[in-house]
Amino acid sequence: MTSQLPDEDLIARTLEGDEDAFSELYERYRQPVFATAYRILHDADEALDASQEIFVKLYRSLASWNAAKSKFSTWLYRLACNHAIDLWRGRKRGGEIQLGEEEEGGLRSEYHISRPAASPLRQLEARETIAQVRHCTDILPELQRKVFALRFFQQLKLEEIAEMENCSLGTVKTSLFRATRTVRRCLRRRRSMP
Amino acid sequence: MRRRETRHYTEEEILLHVLEEDNAEVRPPVAEHLDECGACGAVRREYLELMALLRQWELPAVPAARWSAARAAVMDRFREDQEWLQRKGLARWLHQAERIWNYALSNPLPTVGYVAAALAFASERTITLFRLDEALPGTAEVLDILRQILGG
Repeated sequence: MTSQLPDEDLIARTLEGDEDAFSELYERYRQPVFATAYRILHDADEALDASQEIFVKLYRSLASWNAAKSKFSTWLYRLACNHAIDLWRGRKRGGEIQLGEEEEGGLRSEYHISRPAASPLRQLEARETIAQVRHCTDILPELQRKVFALRFFQQLKLEEIAEMENCSLGTVKTSLFRATRTVRRCLRRRRSMP
Repeated sequence: MRRRETRHYTEEEILLHVLEEDNAEVRPPVAEHLDECGACGAVRREYLELMALLRQWELPAVPAARWSAARAAVMDRFREDQEWLQRKGLARWLHQAERIWNYALSNPLPTVGYVAAALAFASERTITLFRLDEALPGTAEVLDILRQILGG
């Protein structure tokens, strides 16, 4: 059974063309890859499409993964993050800003979990809060956006992010601080608005 | 006794403390200061509130049907790539064979020489390995003559 195998064995088998091994890798990492893409793109449909492309990229470049250099998950998150950032950059260049689209209903709204325990008023407040946070994180520049998403949502340690991004720990700390400060100030401003 | 830290901490230091990313040595004095200092404590509260807000922003639940479709698409691409790689391998082999054939047609004499040398080499190994010399007397002599002709 491939589900019992460690990542390294699955990778070796995938490289030999074993479909089951690749399928197991997909099952193991689809959720974190989707999460990484979503935290950067802020759009569920785009993140799902991106995660498909990330998995195609994954097996095409799997031979270049070096176990001595980085953990497989770190390597995969870097791949996911860079791909999502490329898409986001393209969207930004194209001027496609889709703020609040998920809240407008349609296909995207089906992704949201409506908590049965929460009252409609609470749900509305939560949506409003999320919309504010989304707006404030949308204005972050590239590296800050990446570091912010990886630290706060993917719970990666700053050292792991530095390793992933191939930059110094100091750079990561500064980027995270600047990002957090920007989001904090933005939220403060939006909340003080009438 | 260690002297108590009295300075205010920067927002960056407070953030690292909230994230538990600061040095283990500085954690206790920073925690103590944040408990006592109103200004620094307020910054910590604000960071904690922000983290609580971020936790509210949950990952959207993707319907199972969408996951199945995504998985099928990825696996299709994987299969296509594998087939392409196999075709590429066969094509490369055929291409090599064609090159050898063309060379043989344009250089018949050297080709005959190479083939004979390869056969001689292979036969010699076979004779030694299976002791064919005992079963087929004279094989070694024939090979010697062949080697003299080819090797000069």
